[in-house]
Amino acid sequence: MKLRVSTGICTLFLLMARGSVRAEETRATIIYDDHATEISTANLDVGQLWITTVDLTRATRFELKPQGVCRNELCFPLPKSREQEFVRKISGQAWFDLVAFARLVHQPVAHDEALAMWYFGLRSDQRQGLSSLEAPDFTLPDMNGKIHSLSNFRGKKVLLLTWASW
Amino acid sequence: MPGWQAIYQQLKDKNFEIVSVAQDTNGVKDAGPWIGAANPAYTALIDEKHLVSKLYNMVNVPTGVWIDEHGKIVRPNEVAFVDDRFKNFSGLDSAPYLNALKDWIEKGDKSIYAMSEEHLREKLSVNDPYIILATAEFGLGEHLYKTGHLNEAIPHFKNAQQLNPKSWNYKRQAYALSDAKRDYGTTFMDEVEKAGGSKVYYPPPDLTPNATTKAKKP
Repeated sequence: MKLRVSTGICTLFLLMARGSVRAEETRATIIYDDHATEISTANLDVGQLWITTVDLTRATRFELKPQGVCRNELCFPLPKSREQEFVRKISGQAWFDLVAFARLVHQPVAHDEALAMWYFGLRSDQRQGLSSLEAPDFTLPDMNGKIHSLSNFRGKKVLLLTWASW
Repeated sequence: MPGWQAIYQQLKDKNFEIVSVAQDTNGVKDAGPWIGAANPAYTALIDEKHLVSKLYNMVNVPTGVWIDEHGKIVRPNEVAFVDDRFKNFSGLDSAPYLNALKDWIEKGDKSIYAMSEEHLREKLSVNDPYIILATAEFGLGEHLYKTGHLNEAIPHFKNAQQLNPKSWNYKRQAYALSDAKRDYGTTFMDEVEKAGGSKVYYPPPDLTPNATTKAKKP
């Protein structure tokens, strides 16, 4: 099994990297929606993060479907002409570049090379553009852990106030 | 917080709520004692990821936003002091802001302090890709700090500070998690001096009628 996977990776490398860099399967940590997941990745080039579609779902709860990359009702279609940028199928295993997907959905990514850690910020659909003048909604706990949403106060005037202990 | 509690008691029967949100990476550990001591009747939330600052593009604390009954922003991010405890530092008198707030609670969108849509848009323009990238660098810094990698977190906090130089939150929170002088070669007060001093580093609310009068609808 192990042999088959690594053969897959080598083939993937040969097909994708076109001789530019040497691919190795390495461990990495993805932080997505503030949730950390350990995955293994075939990092082929700087600024790419190829993970299996199984890990895609483990780390992000998004699934690769015929209509796009989806989580429940939320679906991001992949541009047909550029599908190769996002998905490659090698020996029955589908690989997905999560950084290319982040670019597609206007999601900022920060990377720590030494610790092989990738942090994915809020996608554009989560940032709720302020240009509508609609107050972005959020859901947060109080100090007893009880959950509150700003939208619970609809119908009242609200003073939203940030502060900090520091 | 006791100051806001008094304002809340005064105004809560006028269909008004205060939602306060602590921007503290260490969450309840750091913000809890303050909330516990004040025991406010209004809603006091904990925001370890600085989510509200990200969503509203806030750059400092304290910051206030007025939101109307329909969930529309009426006045965007601006400094919101409830009393004059910090007056020696900021040079800001809290009364004009509180009077403006009371005027709005009384008169709603007829208040001269309710901003025109045009003016609001100008104040809220936030599609700066560097500011958006800064949120991820800060998030990674927080995650590294919380998983015991302070040394690795520092370069990412620095990236966030450079990508969004207007954010005092990114500086102040990172300094508070570190020995600022050792790890950043500076302190909050040094940075305030560099920005022209404590009286100007965080601009006061713009409460002049010209800036706030609602534009007449055609």
